[in-house]
Amino acid sequence: MKLRYAMVCSSNQNRSMEAHAQLKREGFDVASYGTGQHVKLPGPSLREPNVYDFGTPYKHMLDDLRRKDPELYRRNGILPMLKRNVGVKSAPQRWQENAPDGVFDVVLTFEEKVFEMVVEDLHNRNHVLMKLVLVINLEVKDNHEEAATGGRLALQLCQEFEMTENWEDSVDEIIINFERQNNRKLLYTLSYY
Amino acid sequence: MAVAPAREQALPLLAAANNHGDLAVKISSLKQAKDILLSVEPSHAADLYPFLLELQFSPETLVRKYLIEVIDEIGEKTMEHLSVFLPVLLTFLKDNNPKVSKQSIITGTKFFYRSMEELAFQFQRHGIVERWLEELWTWMIKFKDTVLDIIFEVGTVGPKLLAIKFMEKYVLHFTFDSNDPGNIPEVMSRPGSEFNISWIIDGHTIVDPSVFVKDASRYLGILLDMLRSASNFLGSLTISVINSLAAIARKRPVYYNSILTTLLELDVNREMGKGRHTVSIQFSLRTAYLGFLRCTHPVIVESREMLLKALRGMNAGEAADQVLRQMDKLMKNNERASRDLRLNKDDQLPNQSHGAGDVTKKRLAPMENNDQNNCVDVSSKRIRYDPRNSTAAANAIINDAGKDPVNGMPPKPAVIDDNLSPVEQMVAMISALIAEGERGVNSLEILISNIHPDLLSDIVIMNMKHLPKTPPPLSSQSSNDTSSDPSQISPSNGLVTSLPTLGPSEGPACLSSTISLPFSDMPTSSNLCTDSKRDPRRDPRRLDPRRVMVPVDVTPLSHVEDNVNSFHHHVAQSDLDVPSSSCPPSVIPQSSSESISIAVVPKVETISNPSETPAVSEANLSVLKDEVTGMEAKEFTMKEEIINASHLLPSSTSEVDDTLRGASLDFAPPDGIYSPSSQDTDQLLPHISNVETSEIASTLLPVFPQYIELAEEQQREVKKVALERIINLYPSLERMDSKHTQMALVARLFAQTDVHDVIGMVQKHIVSDYERQKGHELVMHILYHLHSLVISDPGSSAAIVYEKFLLGLAKYLIANLPASDKSFSRLLGEVPSIPDSVLRLLEDLCTESHSEVNGHDGDHVTQGLGAVWSLILVRQPYRQACLDIALKCAVHSKDDVRAKAIRLVANKLYAISYISGNIEQFATKMFLASVDERADMRISKSAAVPENQMGEQVESQNTSISGSQVSESGSSQNDTIKGSKDQFPNDSSISFSQAQSHVSLFFALCSKKPSLLQLVFDNYAQSPKAVKQAVHRHVPILLRAFESPYSELLHIISNPPRGSEDLLTQVIHILSEGKTPSPDLVAIVKHLYETTLKDATILIPMLSAFSRDEVLPIFPRLVHLPMDAFQTALAHILQITDACSACFEQRTVFTQQVLSNALNQMVDRTPLPLLFMRTVIQAIDAFPTLVYAVLSILMKSVVVDDARFFESLSTGYFTRFSQVTSVLDKYVSACFLTLIL
Repeated sequence: MKLRYAMVCSSNQNRSMEAHAQLKREGFDVASYGTGQHVKLPGPSLREPNVYDFGTPYKHMLDDLRRKDPELYRRNGILPMLKRNVGVKSAPQRWQENAPDGVFDVVLTFEEKVFEMVVEDLHNRNHVLMKLVLVINLEVKDNHEEAATGGRLALQLCQEFEMTENWEDSVDEIIINFERQNNRKLLYTLSYY
Repeated sequence: MAVAPAREQALPLLAAANNHGDLAVKISSLKQAKDILLSVEPSHAADLYPFLLELQFSPETLVRKYLIEVIDEIGEKTMEHLSVFLPVLLTFLKDNNPKVSKQSIITGTKFFYRSMEELAFQFQRHGIVERWLEELWTWMIKFKDTVLDIIFEVGTVGPKLLAIKFMEKYVLHFTFDSNDPGNIPEVMSRPGSEFNISWIIDGHTIVDPSVFVKDASRYLGILLDMLRSASNFLGSLTISVINSLAAIARKRPVYYNSILTTLLELDVNREMGKGRHTVSIQFSLRTAYLGFLRCTHPVIVESREMLLKALRGMNAGEAADQVLRQMDKLMKNNERASRDLRLNKDDQLPNQSHGAGDVTKKRLAPMENNDQNNCVDVSSKRIRYDPRNSTAAANAIINDAGKDPVNGMPPKPAVIDDNLSPVEQMVAMISALIAEGERGVNSLEILISNIHPDLLSDIVIMNMKHLPKTPPPLSSQSSNDTSSDPSQISPSNGLVTSLPTLGPSEGPACLSSTISLPFSDMPTSSNLCTDSKRDPRRDPRRLDPRRVMVPVDVTPLSHVEDNVNSFHHHVAQSDLDVPSSSCPPSVIPQSSSESISIAVVPKVETISNPSETPAVSEANLSVLKDEVTGMEAKEFTMKEEIINASHLLPSSTSEVDDTLRGASLDFAPPDGIYSPSSQDTDQLLPHISNVETSEIASTLLPVFPQYIELAEEQQREVKKVALERIINLYPSLERMDSKHTQMALVARLFAQTDVHDVIGMVQKHIVSDYERQKGHELVMHILYHLHSLVISDPGSSAAIVYEKFLLGLAKYLIANLPASDKSFSRLLGEVPSIPDSVLRLLEDLCTESHSEVNGHDGDHVTQGLGAVWSLILVRQPYRQACLDIALKCAVHSKDDVRAKAIRLVANKLYAISYISGNIEQFATKMFLASVDERADMRISKSAAVPENQMGEQVESQNTSISGSQVSESGSSQNDTIKGSKDQFPNDSSISFSQAQSHVSLFFALCSKKPSLLQLVFDNYAQSPKAVKQAVHRHVPILLRAFESPYSELLHIISNPPRGSEDLLTQVIHILSEGKTPSPDLVAIVKHLYETTLKDATILIPMLSAFSRDEVLPIFPRLVHLPMDAFQTALAHILQITDACSACFEQRTVFTQQVLSNALNQMVDRTPLPLLFMRTVIQAIDAFPTLVYAVLSILMKSVVVDDARFFESLSTGYFTRFSQVTSVLDKYVSACFLTLIL
């Protein structure tokens, strides 16, 4: 694999982790992040989400929710999701704090707001390395089904990039083709490390 | 690693990297070779470089790419041998494989800026540049040009994208960053700070900044052109260009308008052909616009409407509104925070942005590091902006000195607009609004109502300072169309006409106050105020350069303002005629400012007329036209000399002039910048309302005469009246912001007005408002303003004004406010500096010698000492002076003063670690001085024999007195001392009080640190009697104050110095007073008695703790003591008598009946209770009628045939009845005692 990928959503739980899992399974060099202030998981009601800090292990969340209401969280898919996440990496990570993780070639976001935040964050970093980074947004709704679809699409997109010799030359083409094939809207921009 | 083995190891590896068939082996060999190369000395490694360079021909992309990385790492280590690699790097720029090409751009860019830094640094440090660097730089120039070529050559996009980034960096580096201090060594020591053109000193032998500035403009032009022809480029390139341009616009607002125009012109849908992802391009535009919305630079703020329109056009209206809401919220928060900060006067935040409500000062959190220019920490921006302005101003002067106005228009320095100070930004905004005519009126009103009072006052003051230098013909005053005459316009701009009319001190004054700003920001100014907490640099208000500039003639300001306008006009006119608006003019002053500031300031002092009032502006108005030109020329000649000598300034000022002359000559003069603020001036200062109106104002507002020339006396009067009116308005104003405005105005006016005229007036008002604390704030405004003037020009008379004002105010506060009021202390605690005269006043206050104090002096002593205390705590520079005051008071002759000061010193100050040493030293010194006094006295009295004899007499008397003291309790000591005083009033009374005042402090410290008592013991023997008296007076108080186990004291007692027996006895007495002495003490005393001290007196206090067997051996010695001592001893032995006495005093409880019963019971006991007979006698004393009952008891007891009992009983009986108890012979008593025991 030539390129290094980052999957980014809001809480680094569902969409980014689904994509992360799929890309990892395919052998991609991939990491995943969330851009929110905290990791939020649905709770017993809309007003009572389960909030964790980034860095809290998925295992801990899993145990916590199992203890709280195993039935509820099994039914709404949170426990299976957390179980999946445990198999991918240990804890959710925050995009804004990922400087030590090194540089990525392609960053894939799953929500426009997240895309904006990533772009702004990259703009605000000192571009010392002059290393190009491609940021793409693929809009994916935050539910398990859409996340699964989004993960597949993300994998497909990344495979496209992986196949090109110089993605800079063909980014427009890849994006446009992808949109046409999948009937999805993408956004991309370029930034530097 | 040794060189030879390294070479031996590296060569095969390099060969393998070149020739091996397996790529993996090649790479790993190269890696190992790299490690070796990096591990040996660069000079030795250089021998291997040719072999390394052979790898450039490797067919493997990875090898070539890795080769660049190796070069990169070698470059990290040393740049000295880099030139060898540069040809390879240039070749690789055009490598077929974009990866190699990209890597070489990255590495080359790194080298480019590092060598640029090194160039700046070497030249700045040594005045020359080393040859290798020169060579390297030649290569870097080639590199730069090659990178630029990449963009237009046919090839892959990757390298082009990096080339675009290179251009963006280039533009940012080679246009002035107003945040950059331009101080090379400082900057270079700060990791992470990026190179900026301002580091390059003009006159650099290798680097011509103007070339780079021109290049930067050209590159920007190229980027804009790329955007205009975006349809020819791939979407990724367009997006990259948009992002780069947006970054440039945010960071260098000078280019904002041209960039925005180009961005707005880009019609994505129309121009973008197939194969480009237009949505993404549009989104980049959207991101750029939203980013602009977040900026607060006035130029960017001005275009908000345009941005909103554009954003709504791309369906991003909601996002735009959201950003605006965020902005508002941030502004409000900022405003609130800064207001709180202001109110709290929080010194912990020295860089607080105190400009609440100031649009230009808002911080935008989301943009954090990126857009420092406009969006980030505003206070720092303010501070840094202004030095540039001053630089620019100075430069403008330099330029204008050598050239003539063209067509009556001021020749403008070109692009220094990004260095605008908030005042100038506001002026620019206001002028822009005025230019909109009717439409702008509402916005103008809103803007003015929201301007922070500080800023507003600056604008007002600035306009006041624009009092024209040359009056128009009087006939034109009423003429409506004068404004259309260019020759009339220019005076109102204050630029051109101000030059020929400079007063004799104006030129230098301008330089000193404007240029000294960066100077004051440098460490060299620290000696001006060493108070770190109070460091003026830490208070944005204090060193706000605007303040410093204010009293100066407006010439420099107007230059800058003109630049604002030139910028506006320029940007509006030309899309990117960048070369013409390029920065050379600002390049030169940038780097030269420091040199000027250092070199010229002293000269200014000598040149400026010392008899001038601090208000330099007055000097400006006293026009001496003829002298000016010559004066100016002289000034600049000198300046050039200085500059050349210090290698810091361009040797070719004329070049600068040329550049300047070539720039921006085609701009219209600024229009009506000042009209709105001059309206403000009118409202506040009606007396001078018709002094000035600009031409725009005259078109929009009723026509006023353009100006009226005022005589110096009139000006003075006007200022005075203005100040008076503002001050009189003061209490009636409700609005807080109005008050802020007033304060700022008053502070400035005060500094400009003759202090003698107004000091009384200001003081009165300040004090009248002090209760509401507003007076204090006003005072602080004035003082800090004056202080900033002092710092900027140490030779100015502001220092005198400052001192006079502060002293007067302090006296006034002391005299007029109650002593319990904290205002005085707070005043001294918060003023920027405390002159000696004020410290003297403080000392007088503490020592009650302040003559103007009314009421209770004692309170004022407390007040003074309270102030001293707080100053010691918080004002480090004055700590020593204040400590001296406190210590002086602590040994003061007045008891009241001394007592209070000692309390402060011992209880409060002595606890502070950093001054406790000083205090202890001082107290010890005073104590020892008083001890040595005897010697002094002897010397002084050796000539007068009779007195000397008397002194000896006193001494011998004293010995016996202290001897008797020992046996007395504390209360009797005083009597003894008094007695001695009475006996020897001439000498001892004086020396006693002196001694008392000298040793009190020391004893107070002893109570905190018992080990100090050792000194007392050591010096007791040779102390004069007055000191001994003082010691004896202090010791009981001190010992009773001891709470903790007095182990240290016991240690001292256990080994008393010779001659300290009296003191020792007193100490032992006190320690065992009223309680059973501790076993330790008893042991020590016993030991002493047995070894060194054979005097039984010291045993007396211990007797109560002695067993009978212990007492008996020493009893004979006790018996031989003087009568009173023996009685005391008895009392100690027979402490039970005290209990009995207490019972007999309780007559209601111990009635006759009770006593009778008790005695009956006692007599039945066998053996009889201790002191039975004494009790019987006391009972008879208490109730004489008990005699018969007692007799019967005694009769009864006779039956008990105990001879010893009978003897004692009858003796007691006898003594009672013979009424001879009091004269009982001691031997008899001794017998009885023996019997009883």
